[in-house]
Amino acid sequence: MSTKRTMTLNLTDAEMAVLEAMAEAKDLTKTGVLRQALRLYQLIDVRIARGEKIFVENGLTKEKAELAIL
Amino acid sequence: MSSLIATIKLREVATNQAIQAQVFDGIDQTHLSNWKTKWVPVVQATEARLLAQGAPASVYPQSAHWDWNKKTTAFQNLLSYRMFAVTCAHDTQGLMAVATDVVMHPSRLPDDKGRRALGLVYIDFLEAAPWNRPEHVQPPRYRGVGSVLIATAIQLSLDEGFKGRIGLHSLPQSEDFYRNIVRMNDLGPDTSYPGSFPLRYFEFTTAEAQAFIQGGKP
Repeated sequence: MSTKRTMTLNLTDAEMAVLEAMAEAKDLTKTGVLRQALRLYQLIDVRIARGEKIFVENGLTKEKAELAIL
Repeated sequence: MSSLIATIKLREVATNQAIQAQVFDGIDQTHLSNWKTKWVPVVQATEARLLAQGAPASVYPQSAHWDWNKKTTAFQNLLSYRMFAVTCAHDTQGLMAVATDVVMHPSRLPDDKGRRALGLVYIDFLEAAPWNRPEHVQPPRYRGVGSVLIATAIQLSLDEGFKGRIGLHSLPQSEDFYRNIVRMNDLGPDTSYPGSFPLRYFEFTTAEAQAFIQGGKP
């Protein structure tokens, strides 16, 4: 639905291994995984820029912990 | 900003004719102005009528509080969200906002290899113009707006590499549409859904989604 542009990406072996594993696990292409990463990064970055904090919750104990963003 | 992505047909109820309509990727000021000046007065008239009749709260339109101006402002610059509009005869006939992030909206049904938590297009909000809904106007003006938006979400899912999978939480008044018209899988009330009561969650698998866009129904 949208016009796409091409770029070359240089990754370390470790980064490529993670990318390939996530692509397999999520049934996505490597480009698809990187798109997902960018979307999530932007979503979190926008909320933090607004002064909000991101928390993760343990599904069983309901314990919440702040997600550290570097 | 919006761009035309498809020309489709809606069924005009009064004449039973197929009328040409347009699907736009993105919601722009024209769509929002139409919502504000034409949709909202019809919804307010329905609420006034129900109030005069002393109708129970359960029959009031449950999407009446949706503010598409606010939704567009919130979503328009986020890569995770996409918005779509259907127009016909110079009026906005339907609006939809979807999320495309795997982390927060993973699939719940297993795929053909038994995998869950895969990507899908999550329909956050889908609304047909009030004159297309029998609870507001009898008979409704056009049929097929909801199905066109569902098909648009499936096409986006295919484009995103999600293989047609879509999911959504339904308002109680829309459950019949998703369960019996679209024929999505009803996974029951979702107690993790934020809100005052658990909405039911519906999902289409790849095969069901492909059957829907090929034949209209799975």
